[in-house]
Amino acid sequence: MTLPGGLTASVRRLRVHPGRTLIAALGIAAAAAMLGAAVTVAYGLHTGFDRSARRADLPDVIARFDDQPQQRVDARLRTLPNLRARSYRREFTGVPLDANGHASQNGVLQAVGGGRRGYAIVAGRDLRRPDEAVGERGVAREWNISVGQRIGIGNARLRVVGVAVSPDNVAFPLAKGPRVYVSQSALSPRIGTRVNIALIWLNDPSLLDQTLTQARAASFGVGGLRFLTRAGVRTTIDQAAGIVIALLVAFSVVALCSAGVMLMASAQAEVERRLQGIGVMRAIGFSPRAVVGQHVLDAGVLALPAGAAGIAAGALVASRPSANLLESINELPPGAALLGPLALALLLVVLLVAGSAALPAWRAARRPVVSVLRRGELAPVSRASRFPAGFLGMGMRLTAARRGRAFATVAVLTISAAVVLAMLGMATLLNGLRNDPGLVGKRYQLTVNAPASEVAAIRRVPGVQAAAPRYVLFAADSFLLGESLKVVAYPGDHTPFEDPPLASGRRLRSNGEAEVGTGIADALGVRPGSELAIELPSGREVRFRVTGLVRAFDNDGRVVYTRPARLLAADPSLTGEIAVKLAPGADQRAVARRLFAGGHPAQRITGGTTRNASFLSVLAALLRAVALVDGLVCLYILVQALALTARERRSTIAVLRASGAGRREVLLVLAGAALVVVLAAAPAAVLLELAVLGPAVSHLAASYVSLPLHARAGQVAIVVGALLVLAVAAAALAGRRLQREPVVAGLRSD
Amino acid sequence: MRLVTATGLVKSYGSGRAARRVLDGADLEVHAGELVAIVGPSGCGKSTLLHLLGGLDLPDEGSVELGGRRLERETARGLTELRRDYVGFVFQFFHLIPELTGEENVLLPARLAADRRAATRRGRKLIADLGLSEAARRRPGELSGGEQQRLSIARALVNDPRVLLADEPTGNLDEESGHHVLGLLRSLASGERAVVLVTHDAEAARIADRVLRVQRGRLEE
Repeated sequence: MTLPGGLTASVRRLRVHPGRTLIAALGIAAAAAMLGAAVTVAYGLHTGFDRSARRADLPDVIARFDDQPQQRVDARLRTLPNLRARSYRREFTGVPLDANGHASQNGVLQAVGGGRRGYAIVAGRDLRRPDEAVGERGVAREWNISVGQRIGIGNARLRVVGVAVSPDNVAFPLAKGPRVYVSQSALSPRIGTRVNIALIWLNDPSLLDQTLTQARAASFGVGGLRFLTRAGVRTTIDQAAGIVIALLVAFSVVALCSAGVMLMASAQAEVERRLQGIGVMRAIGFSPRAVVGQHVLDAGVLALPAGAAGIAAGALVASRPSANLLESINELPPGAALLGPLALALLLVVLLVAGSAALPAWRAARRPVVSVLRRGELAPVSRASRFPAGFLGMGMRLTAARRGRAFATVAVLTISAAVVLAMLGMATLLNGLRNDPGLVGKRYQLTVNAPASEVAAIRRVPGVQAAAPRYVLFAADSFLLGESLKVVAYPGDHTPFEDPPLASGRRLRSNGEAEVGTGIADALGVRPGSELAIELPSGREVRFRVTGLVRAFDNDGRVVYTRPARLLAADPSLTGEIAVKLAPGADQRAVARRLFAGGHPAQRITGGTTRNASFLSVLAALLRAVALVDGLVCLYILVQALALTARERRSTIAVLRASGAGRREVLLVLAGAALVVVLAAAPAAVLLELAVLGPAVSHLAASYVSLPLHARAGQVAIVVGALLVLAVAAAALAGRRLQREPVVAGLRSD
Repeated sequence: MRLVTATGLVKSYGSGRAARRVLDGADLEVHAGELVAIVGPSGCGKSTLLHLLGGLDLPDEGSVELGGRRLERETARGLTELRRDYVGFVFQFFHLIPELTGEENVLLPARLAADRRAATRRGRKLIADLGLSEAARRRPGELSGGEQQRLSIARALVNDPRVLLADEPTGNLDEESGHHVLGLLRSLASGERAVVLVTHDAEAARIADRVLRVQRGRLEE
């Protein structure tokens, strides 16, 4: 038979049982939708930074410094041998901005000069005249600013001519203030050509470290110099939403596996439905290869449109939330570039379905013909049945008789339920990250912005158990200047205040020692016993002996714990805050009030990795919604399994009804058939989530820390309870159809 | 005593030009202690008539009265009760559940009975009386056709129905097994119980009290 002829025959075969074909297509479409959503989210997030950096022409280095005449800075920069291009900006912070009834006192105004911009215009056009402004996409979206409207900048009102995106920071409102660009010529009459930001593009970005060393050497007289590299920008953005992105990418990987298992189970079920047809084909002389070929073709013909529809639906559903997430971190959606990965996903779906159909078809075609004709796969359960007596137990036996299908159904349900548990665990973790400082290893609850000399006074406040000066600064590795890190210093033992678990080595004991977060240790290749040299913002270098590696959550594990003596020696102007640990049972607000009364205004510590709590709330809600959708997938799996059982066992159900069984008894049989799957899948799902999925997602999301990513007992109880309810609901759905047909219809089915 | 009364039964299959009226005004009365055999060519509506008598399907027109209750007026629950308490079915293809042992199959309707213990006792006695003690421990796949059919008859009798409806009970059996099954059915049609038998089997027609032939959708003696 030719391929077009085979395709026509396949379509004809599929049209013989439109209901059955629809069920199979729905299964494929549901799995493909999960795949499409996962690919959309994962691809968008994974490639978001590089795509946006390329589109925005993000510089290799952003240098910030105290205000300088542009000519002076330019004279220094021109000497760098690796320099390809440069441009300058003047940044003002704390600028009053207002538009469309919205206002902020924390506005960021950047006056851009000539040359390359370092941002991408996504609506309207770039600046041309002094009375024009370009708004960052975050502020344009939050304040509903469209091109042509006016924005208030201090006392001036400028016309917005464009909307820009630059992935050098997260977007407003995740960023503290809204950002607006104006032309340098708009301000130069007042400020001259002074600048405080230089955007630097290199000929060879791999020589970044050498170039930074040269730049620092050439920066004599330029105060407050700080470099932010592309890697540093990525880290900055990761600090805002990195863990969330990593969790979503990790979820997508899990969703891929889940969809794969679902597709395989669906294809296998379809072949099982056709066992008798396979027997007839073999009986009239078709070879096993021809049988397999036909099933592969049928599966492909079904999988191509169903998979395409599912992937398109999944991509559509996920594209908006994914784009919103990307927008909030100033990244661009993939657009047409997503079509390639989606096409690959469709190919994967078709291959998976065709392959999954081929295997059971091959197995069936190789069996003795008479056995296939009798649907000989029925494997009676052992006589010493462990199932309870009664109609419930009978339903359990009906499911157990199809061992292969029962196993596949249990496997798919196990994975789906485990994913639900993982989603709930992630949502809880996100809430914890927002609210619970203990979750990220912080043991203090308040900070007071006061000099170290006030520690003794603060310790005396009722409800305070301990207080200590805490110094924080951002530095760079002396050898790899692109690697930024956070230095946290306490004069004594830091563990009463911050207690990241020790991964290897020992705690620090003296001023010259440091504990290093595994996030930065991996990047720098340092181990206990290594020497760590860091360059402070002042340009001074400080060295420490590494005594241990810690699984710190803070700053993506790019953190160093030490004592402040050497830091203060290198930079005496370094100031800290006072970390306050409350006594057990002390009320945080009451203690804060007492501190305030004593002239020490305190700030409450939250656990967030991001400054925007509502962002975490939205993501936690998103994860819960995904869990709900996955719950519906569980329902589909159960209904599909029951529909298959009910279809095969129409005559059994009809005999029961002919013997006087009513709606209740039929429901009990079907509920038993579903419950046996749920009772096997529920504990397996809990174990899978606890032992495999949780740790795997945790590792994928943040290998530098042990995230408590397991579902709580209450969540496990809810999921198991929901599965039981779903089993009964699936039984009711399947039972309704059986009850509607005359008893005699079931008796004729044999 | 009249156990079953069917009046003017009409039943069609298909619709439009393809519609086929298999029963066209069939009337029937069955009395206690009777064995009634219904014969006729394939596709004439014999099995359809049996299904209508047992409340497994409903007629397009006409009525069936079973134990003084009109089936067409009964709710789904009422029909279920009638099937449970008043009627027993024996099928050509036995319809035993392959996962259950012979005894479990026989005792299946006992789980539905008002007096479950009595029904279970009756089921076990039937197994013993019908010589099925050995077969009762096995699953249907391990039994002969005759054993399976006798088990299905025992299952039909567990709730002590007044009417036993048998659809081609010997159609799938060899001559010897068929002979045994017919003898059994003959013995069951006594006292307050009646048996209605749909068959092609000439021997079945010989042992029946009455033989009715389905012709052009009606029953003729």
